[in-house]
Amino acid sequence: MNKLATEFTETKEKLRGKTHFSLTTFHFSLPQIEFRSLARYPKNSSFQTRRSEHPQMRTAGAKPAPHLRMLRSSNSKNSHYNVSGSIWLTAVFLLTFILLQSGCKLADDSWERVQATGVLRVGLDPTYPPFEVDDGSGVTGLDVDLAKAIAEDLGLDVQFVYFGYDGLYDALATNQVDVLLSALVIIPERTRDFSYSTPYFDAGEILIVPAENDTIKTMADLGGQTLAVELGSLGHVEATEWAKRVADLEIRPFPTADEAMTAVQQGAADAALTDAISGRLYLRDNNGLKRLPESVTVEPFALVVRSENEQLLTMLNQSLATLQQSGQLDQIESKWLGQ
Amino acid sequence: MVGRFLPDRLASPNVTLPFPKLQFRSGLRLLLLITLISLMQPAPLLIVPGPPQTVHTSHAIVGVHTRLTDEVEEWKIQRSLEMVRQMGSPWIVELFPWAYYHAADGGIAWEHPDMVMEHAHAQGLKVIARLGLTPGWARPPDTPLNYLDADAYDDFADFAAQFAARYRGKLAAIIVGNEPNLNYEWGYRQATAVDYVDLLKVMYPAIKAANPDVLVLGGALAPTLEPAGSPWGLNDLEYLDQMYAAGAADYFDGLAVHSYGLTFPALAEPGPDILNFRRVELVRDVMLRHNDADSKIYITEFGWNDHPRWTLAVRPGQRIQNTLDAFTYAEQNWPYVEMIAIWAFRFPAPTKSFMDYYTLVTPEFVAKPIYTELQRFTGNE
Repeated sequence: MNKLATEFTETKEKLRGKTHFSLTTFHFSLPQIEFRSLARYPKNSSFQTRRSEHPQMRTAGAKPAPHLRMLRSSNSKNSHYNVSGSIWLTAVFLLTFILLQSGCKLADDSWERVQATGVLRVGLDPTYPPFEVDDGSGVTGLDVDLAKAIAEDLGLDVQFVYFGYDGLYDALATNQVDVLLSALVIIPERTRDFSYSTPYFDAGEILIVPAENDTIKTMADLGGQTLAVELGSLGHVEATEWAKRVADLEIRPFPTADEAMTAVQQGAADAALTDAISGRLYLRDNNGLKRLPESVTVEPFALVVRSENEQLLTMLNQSLATLQQSGQLDQIESKWLGQ
Repeated sequence: MVGRFLPDRLASPNVTLPFPKLQFRSGLRLLLLITLISLMQPAPLLIVPGPPQTVHTSHAIVGVHTRLTDEVEEWKIQRSLEMVRQMGSPWIVELFPWAYYHAADGGIAWEHPDMVMEHAHAQGLKVIARLGLTPGWARPPDTPLNYLDADAYDDFADFAAQFAARYRGKLAAIIVGNEPNLNYEWGYRQATAVDYVDLLKVMYPAIKAANPDVLVLGGALAPTLEPAGSPWGLNDLEYLDQMYAAGAADYFDGLAVHSYGLTFPALAEPGPDILNFRRVELVRDVMLRHNDADSKIYITEFGWNDHPRWTLAVRPGQRIQNTLDAFTYAEQNWPYVEMIAIWAFRFPAPTKSFMDYYTLVTPEFVAKPIYTELQRFTGNE
């Protein structure tokens, strides 16, 4: 794991090298800038100071400061040292530098590169049903269908590349794939190196209640009720926190999420708090329960690209929006997770 | 009022000021206001260790590996250690990186280790200090932090001796290095037991001379099946065998080992080709083969992970059960094991990876159900 981290850092350094702003591309010679700054003001204007008047030039024989030496060499015919010119020079140089830093990145050709190959390389870890799993007959799942739909919308073929879960981001950083689509949660700490698409699924904790129940609408309505959770799960942690502020909320842990929901179905608990994936899979296969529309916690899944691949990210987001508007995203979700 | 402090020329009403008097006064008032506001900032939070506490536990074998090295705020260090005590764990294992403290001129920045040791002592905890990571001045250029060659052994021993002497009465044991049987931990070099034993031969007498009460622990060996010549490391059982062959027995008081359960239940049978919790029994066999029944084993990292999709994780409920089973089994069957530390108590910030699912407490100090179960297990409900 630590070796991977080191290699990852080295790779990032390499990537940074590729995106470095090149001075040769945007070459400005300092004399030109200085010349222009001087040219804007007449020699006898108040913006000019004679050499002898400049504090740094008063000492006989003193060498001019480095920036003034530069001015002199570039404008040797000019007998004046232009202090205001040097201020303008500095200002213009700084402004130019800031503008170049902020706006003049190396052109992002990520989308053109993908288009040129005609293939969208998607990295995933195929061990997480129902999002992606390879049972020996090929990879299937919600993410797989979504990747295919996006590729079709963008006029591309899709190629799935397998990695272990821990190696997904390294694979993306080292350009082995164009995008990760593998039930990945948005991690703010990673956004220096990677960019996330708009979320396509929320895997946060949801409340499951009996289908006929109209009184429980949020966690705050669970006062005096029994809440089933999977022992030790994030839902259990969340429920414990809610129990501190909801009167008489009884938490009943079960060994699995399914058993917690079965308890609700059998009337042994009033509600269950579970992750959205377990909850929706249970509801798909069992009757008599419903999920509340608002999730209790938010765990957004998104596609991931390298941070410099802004064009590609824009295209992926546009495609997600198209799939959302057409209802195709909902269809894919329903196919794998039920309604 | 303001005019009194102006030169006469400016104070005279007949003189046209270069700026309005009102503006000057406003400016002065603004300056005064800013000064007052800056003085109104709250005083820094005063944290004191408080009266000495005692750990109440029905299972003295329970320990945790804390992660206070990266913790900046003192109240968080105190709160972490308080929660360790309240969980009924009498032991902590903590990393004290040599590289962070020891300057090239010999000066040592003791502030942070002092803070950790003082608070641990106040909570009544026994501290096992893991010393490692080499300062830049003590290793060749362009080498990683965990690169330690023979030229720096004396410097490392000097630091360890000062550490042991400084925390006399508060420090239970020192682990020399970490997982030396992994090439990564040996500075990306071939991990050889002979090199490590050479290090122990320098460290042991120096630490003992400075503080004879401190135990010196060898290891902590990483559980691995890597064969000889592997670029990753060397099988821990083979490595230990080679340590004894190189004369290690006289240079450690106890052996530190790591023993993760991975996807196996706590009671799963050990085997030479399996990595699970009871691999400790195979380590013990090696010790006995070398007539070292007296040395105790300290399991300084162990546990299960309950990440929802990491391939080496189990369900949260299984993690709790396995952990409790492991402590119970060790107490009943391993008289040679002194303590077992769960990796890890809490991280200062989320890692947003499977590592978060090893912890007992969130970075926000929310106790996970496994913490509550351990609290119940030790009689601290």
